Amino acid sequence: MRLPDQVTGSFLVGLGLAAAYGGWLLPPVPGQPIGPNVFPLVIGTGLALCGLAIVFGIGHTFEEEEEIIPIEAGRAQAPTGKLYGLRALLPPALLLFYVAAAERLGFIITAALVVYATATALGARWRLSLPLAVLAPIGIHLIFSKLLRVPLPAGLLPMPW
Amino acid sequence: MLNTLIEAFALISTWEVIIAMLAASIYGLVIGSLPGLSATMATALLVPVTFYLSPIAAIATIVAASSMAIFSGDIPGALLRIPGTPASAAYADEAYAMTRKGEAELALGAGVWFSAVGGIAGTLSLMILAPPLAEIALSFSTFEYFWLAFLGLMCATLVARSSPVKAIAGMFIGLLVSCVGIENPGGVPRFTFGLTDLFGGIEPIPALVGVFAVAQVMRAMLTPEPPPIPRRKFGSIMAGQWRLTGKYRWQMTRGNIVGIIIGVLPGAGADMAAWVSYAMSKRFSKEPEKFGTGHVEGLIEAGASNNASVASGWVPSLLFGIPGDTIAAIAIGVLYMKGLNPGPTLFTEKASSMYAIYLMFIIANILMIPLGIVMIRLASHVLRAPRSTVMPVIMLCCAVGSFAIGNNMFGVVTVATFGIIGYVMEANGYPVAAMVLGIVMGTMVEQAFVTSLIKSDGSILPFFERPISAILATMAIGALIWPVLLWLWRRLRRGSPAPATSAR
Repeated sequence: MRLPDQVTGSFLVGLGLAAAYGGWLLPPVPGQPIGPNVFPLVIGTGLALCGLAIVFGIGHTFEEEEEIIPIEAGRAQAPTGKLYGLRALLPPALLLFYVAAAERLGFIITAALVVYATATALGARWRLSLPLAVLAPIGIHLIFSKLLRVPLPAGLLPMPW
Repeated sequence: MLNTLIEAFALISTWEVIIAMLAASIYGLVIGSLPGLSATMATALLVPVTFYLSPIAAIATIVAASSMAIFSGDIPGALLRIPGTPASAAYADEAYAMTRKGEAELALGAGVWFSAVGGIAGTLSLMILAPPLAEIALSFSTFEYFWLAFLGLMCATLVARSSPVKAIAGMFIGLLVSCVGIENPGGVPRFTFGLTDLFGGIEPIPALVGVFAVAQVMRAMLTPEPPPIPRRKFGSIMAGQWRLTGKYRWQMTRGNIVGIIIGVLPGAGADMAAWVSYAMSKRFSKEPEKFGTGHVEGLIEAGASNNASVASGWVPSLLFGIPGDTIAAIAIGVLYMKGLNPGPTLFTEKASSMYAIYLMFIIANILMIPLGIVMIRLASHVLRAPRSTVMPVIMLCCAVGSFAIGNNMFGVVTVATFGIIGYVMEANGYPVAAMVLGIVMGTMVEQAFVTSLIKSDGSILPFFERPISAILATMAIGALIWPVLLWLWRRLRRGSPAPATSAR
């Protein structure tokens, strides 16, 4: 997801201007010249200026290319398809799924699904990901619910403790 | 004095205190090493337990758990590049680079050894320097706080291995994130877009977990599994630490001192100590080019610094009831609960209790070495587990840990959102560390900035008039101008390479 600096810089200019405008719209504290609007104005202006500088490539010479660990001979190169990049969105999507489903399905079932999906996406065979999907949620439940008293949703499959 | 010391020994040599300390140490080590669970959270979760303990045992659990958690945050930082606590975030990259070079023992050994040394140095400061240091910090007004926070933020651009402009942009993004919510000078909902969940602002810890943990899982989705780390037993963890202590004793001492000073200052805790010390180490190093490639020097200085700040954070807490950091803020609550109300009189009326606290800090830091080594040996099994089993468990920890912070599902949404933000930023060369610093310190910066402006009636002159304020301002502006000068210098040198070579 390497975007050109012009794109990210322009986005920052937009974000900064929006923040400054949003801050400007905030109601001031009566009888006080400085209120909640000052800080977003300063931040937004600064961000927009930085964005402009990035668009014009200032400071680009400081960037160091990240040294990539060379892939040893014989190892499969990562497949590069058009949809391949979308795989990165799987973890946040699974977390949002957790938010949506945990109350109804309960922690154990939702967590098992999240674990199974993540493990499979990372290349685990079902012989590994299935036991993991069963054991990991129970272990986490033990630590957080039993030990740390975090109220995890019980849902369809409450734990006996 | 001697009598008080004997009394203090009697206070802490009960079975209750000893067991409480051991249990809290193990607890702190485990929680600190779990990504997403910070030392502050470990301490906060301990508070209900302290209801059932005597005053000294209650303080013992907090002292032990917080010191251990700050150290053990280094472990996942070194093994997985996911800092266990924000205090380890400054040098997680460096430690991970060392592990990739096959120097995991050295990185983790330096973590445990210099953490213990730092903790003891911090305790000594608590004992000896407490009154005068606290007096200096007390004379600070919001102007000094503003510059101090500003200086802390500028450090984000110094530690970055990227374009300083992008680092500053990242910092501004973080500050913008901290603007969200109703906790602002006007008490009006700001940037909440009508969502009640945003009224309380964006919690820093889920944001941190998202940026460091979820983004890491996202990267794992696209990168091929790294070559398997050779199966090997950890060599001696403490080997070579004595040599490092001799070689880098000046860096260690500087880290201790910086950590102590930052710990004493209200609001700035172990995370800021680590950032500032790491940046300092890089700036003053004889071999700054090695930083970021797995060099132990910054690790030593920052590791010595963050643990020193944990102990010295208690200085203003005990003397004036002003928390030195978030852990100390929780500790103050426990102190009040147990009838040890903070104040200067505490040192005369309850002197034996104060000495007991010093002793517990020293014991906790000595205990850290054996327990830390055991923890490192157990945690290193993570290295041998395939990524497809570690990452799903990390995902669960992210979801549950961020939920646990406020028992609120919105925390999980925050984690997911910041996972994406962190991933995109990192992919495009924006240092996420700068944003994190902005998020963590935003509220403090704004408060200091706005309060100062109100006091000065909108004039910026008083920001430079007070002597300490002027010194801090000079340092902060210097840090801001530094990259510009460097850039100009490089420009000039590249523009005229011929005279440069002929001059030599």
